[in-house]
Amino acid sequence: MGVGIPVLNQDRALNFYTTKLGFVKKHDVPLGEGNRWLTVVAKEEQEGVEVLLEPSPNNFEPAKTFQKALKDAGIPYTQFSVENVQEEYERLVDLDVVFSVKPTVMGTVKIAVFDDTCGNNIQILEML
Amino acid sequence: MTFYETEMERIRKLCYSNDKQLETVIAVRNYIDHNFEKEVNLDFLSQIRFTSKYHLLRLFKKYYGQTPKQYLTIRRLEEAKKYLKQGMSVTETCYYVGFETPSSFSTLFKNKIGLSPIDFQKKQLLQSHTQKE
Repeated sequence: MGVGIPVLNQDRALNFYTTKLGFVKKHDVPLGEGNRWLTVVAKEEQEGVEVLLEPSPNNFEPAKTFQKALKDAGIPYTQFSVENVQEEYERLVDLDVVFSVKPTVMGTVKIAVFDDTCGNNIQILEML
Repeated sequence: MTFYETEMERIRKLCYSNDKQLETVIAVRNYIDHNFEKEVNLDFLSQIRFTSKYHLLRLFKKYYGQTPKQYLTIRRLEEAKKYLKQGMSVTETCYYVGFETPSSFSTLFKNKIGLSPIDFQKKQLLQSHTQKE
């Protein structure tokens, strides 16, 4: 199973999702013209859900338009569950990750939203 | 303020304005999280929160989309996956996480996870060996 995230630059995305978020690379296959089939997985569950870092915004104009519209509206492209949003927020801020929404309680969840530097807002979420 | 932040505010007012209800369901969920291996039932949960069991059932479902019993089952299965990955036997795991009989545990596990506990464990151990190589 996998989830796709459109990225403006696959090199930068691989760096961000591995060195900052802590994913590990799973597939990295050249597809010509600078595009790659690039996936990362959670370090603890390497047979689990794969995150596809897809170069769609550079190859398909509607994808670029959609991504930009979400980004400008502050809407997260997707979300990742974490054990503790506050701790993850502090860890990522120390790594210079920029947040548009600081840890905020919304009913029975706590959320925060950051910029993945590749054209997306990404939300982290903790169930309370 | 972005569109998303405005929407968050709107949804907060619409769905999450009752602090007392939220406090109740969050406390119940936390109780289940820390006592999943014990016998946890609706009568007991409603007593510790001084509310009727039907009210609690309705509230929990409203805020978490599932009943306390369903949440407890999922929580136990998640814990069971952890212990099976660590190599604990199926029977031991069953009792350790609070299920009453290995046969009902295995049936439930297969229904929810898609593999029997023993097959899940074999798959996990195989993957862990592959990752180490």
